[in-house]
Amino acid sequence: MAPLTYLQAISAGLRDEMREDERVLLMGEDIGVFGGAFKVTDGFVAEFGLERVMDTPLAESGIIGTAIGAAVVGMRPVCEMQFSDFISCGFDQLVNVAGKMHYRQGLAVPLVVRLPSGGGFSGGPFHSQNPEGWFMHAPGIKVVAPSTAEDAKGLLHAAIHDPNPVCYMEHKHLYRRVKGEVSEGVFETPLTARVARSGSDLVVIAYGAMVHTALEATEDLEGASIEVLDLRCLKPLDEDAILDSVGRCSKVVVVDEANFTCAAGAQVAALIAERAFEDLDGPVVRVATPDVPIPFSPPLEQAVLPSVERVREACRELLEY
Amino acid sequence: MSSSSTETTQVVDVTMPQMGVSVAEGTVVAWRVEPGDRIEADQTICEITTDKIDTEVPAPVSGVVSEIIVPVDTTVAVGEVLARIATGDGAGATNGAGQAEAPAPEPEPAPQATATTAPPKRTADHDGAADGRRYSPVVQRIAAEHGIDLAQVPGTGRRGRVRKQDVMAFIESGSAGEAAGEEPPLHIESPYRPEPAAPSAPAAAPGRLSRVRRQIGEHMKRSLDTAATCTTWIEADMSRIEAARKQLGLTALPFVARATIAALREHPSLNATLEGENYAQHQDVNLGIAVSLGETGLIVPVVHGAHELSVEGLSSRIKDLARRARAGQLTPDEVRGGTFTITNPGQFGSIMATPIINQPQVAILDLEAVIKRPVVVTDADGNDSIAIRPMTILGLSWDHRALDGALSAQFLAAVKRHIEGWTGA
Repeated sequence: MAPLTYLQAISAGLRDEMREDERVLLMGEDIGVFGGAFKVTDGFVAEFGLERVMDTPLAESGIIGTAIGAAVVGMRPVCEMQFSDFISCGFDQLVNVAGKMHYRQGLAVPLVVRLPSGGGFSGGPFHSQNPEGWFMHAPGIKVVAPSTAEDAKGLLHAAIHDPNPVCYMEHKHLYRRVKGEVSEGVFETPLTARVARSGSDLVVIAYGAMVHTALEATEDLEGASIEVLDLRCLKPLDEDAILDSVGRCSKVVVVDEANFTCAAGAQVAALIAERAFEDLDGPVVRVATPDVPIPFSPPLEQAVLPSVERVREACRELLEY
Repeated sequence: MSSSSTETTQVVDVTMPQMGVSVAEGTVVAWRVEPGDRIEADQTICEITTDKIDTEVPAPVSGVVSEIIVPVDTTVAVGEVLARIATGDGAGATNGAGQAEAPAPEPEPAPQATATTAPPKRTADHDGAADGRRYSPVVQRIAAEHGIDLAQVPGTGRRGRVRKQDVMAFIESGSAGEAAGEEPPLHIESPYRPEPAAPSAPAAAPGRLSRVRRQIGEHMKRSLDTAATCTTWIEADMSRIEAARKQLGLTALPFVARATIAALREHPSLNATLEGENYAQHQDVNLGIAVSLGETGLIVPVVHGAHELSVEGLSSRIKDLARRARAGQLTPDEVRGGTFTITNPGQFGSIMATPIINQPQVAILDLEAVIKRPVVVTDADGNDSIAIRPMTILGLSWDHRALDGALSAQFLAAVKRHIEGWTGA
């Protein structure tokens, strides 16, 4: 066990997989010689060679389409979108080809698409998005979103081993901010939710970077006992864990860094309304980014992203209800 | 000021209405208004009930309710004054002074002027909760599971809202037990502890039986306590009736009713009522038909003069009564005066029952499911064979005070004969 950053945990996960399994190969823009825009694959070419760490043209549709072919014939490709925003160029390959391949032709597509997502660093409207909701809506695709270094590694292993296409949402803001003990070697984190902090008066449901926002916002809320549930896997949603938390706490705040409408939290809120109505002691409250592009301007960006203060205020309001 | 200078207030009585010729009294079930409330003509002022029919009493005039005279659950005779409504300019205008308004041209004050002088009070009924508070789903569920009256629970949420922790604290403090009227320990050192709540939650919130259910219950218990009830069964071959009813597109009920009426004409001692020691046979057959109102209960509308009706006539009368019974539109006279009753729960496949006599009648016939069975039939030459026939079991509960077993068996045999020998009469 060694303390690793979230980014180092992803690197370690990729490296362990490539050492264990010759079928694992990486594709992406500037991931080879340059080592990736965020240096996740720094030094990989030296260890694994250019054939398994492939620099590709700036063509996401081509990256994913090629990877689908490799996956269908038995490889385990891991594609990197340099920024998750760029996935829209590969949308048709991922949603229509990869997502429906097994349904149409009975062929497994064991493909992982790494999606560096999220804002908070003045990346502007093309480099800051959280597009996980697009893929939750598409049948045939799984979506995971780790919030800790340990889960970043464990969920990457689980995604690579999974026979389905998996969108692996890695939050850029966590890359070098989150650090923790990470198990060595290949291990899988189950595709279930994790109680980040247990409590009984209110539960904040979040994933990715918002788990840390939720923990900080509710650390000391006038003595209230606040649970934080880290979803970890967005598709499929861990419905049992959500309903269990709501059953114990009866008050719920759902936090998304994604834009408000049809975000992952909207599905969580709908689930609670439908299945946990008789457990509720107040309205299901959502905190999310408004339905606007992420601004370049640092003060404007901070104004739209869910802040510690906004989450705390939402919790305080609901506790008093 | 207009209201004080032209004092033309009149007081109009609201009386217990006459609902059908044979109804002498009624009971107030609920008041929809309080004294001081503004009410418009024909708006419901209260709900009343006779022994079977519920109805609403409309306000005879517009005005302000000045007095409620008959409290809820009190029974009074037809024509007695239930409440008084003050009409005219002065109605309820006690706070009218100081309002710079032109005199209203209408004899009645404009609604908004009245609203300022006599604001309508929000009564408990309008809020849906007895104490006017609203509760979240989890609070209502916990209260139902523990039998808690939420009006007793102090709320610490916003604007006094009862939160989950409030109801939980209420349970832990033991106040819930007091509120629910649990038996206290015999003395302080007693080892007695209240029984723990049943582990399985009730399917629905516990509550008092509906008034309809209580009335049915009282009626049924009184019958069993009064009559010496016996039940006799006979099996009947429904072949001819099945054929006839398919031809006419009717159910079996009007055919069995017709056969029963014919048997009652032959055995008038069953078309009778027994009240105390007064036994009366009746000329007319007023046939009661039990109609299920679903979970609400049961009502027995009466086909008056049923002996004058054909099977088609019976069918349409029964259908009409059942439809209006379910719509709550029966008049009190339509549920009175029965001389014999038929109950017909067989649509669900049950084959036998022991019905309870509809007092003060002396017998009730139960029609259950018609089921195809192998039966032994004998031809004209006396040869037996097994045939498949639509069979039913008719049950007759009868009052041994009024008649004996032999007579009830003869009556059932007559019903069977009319059914099996159906010729289209």
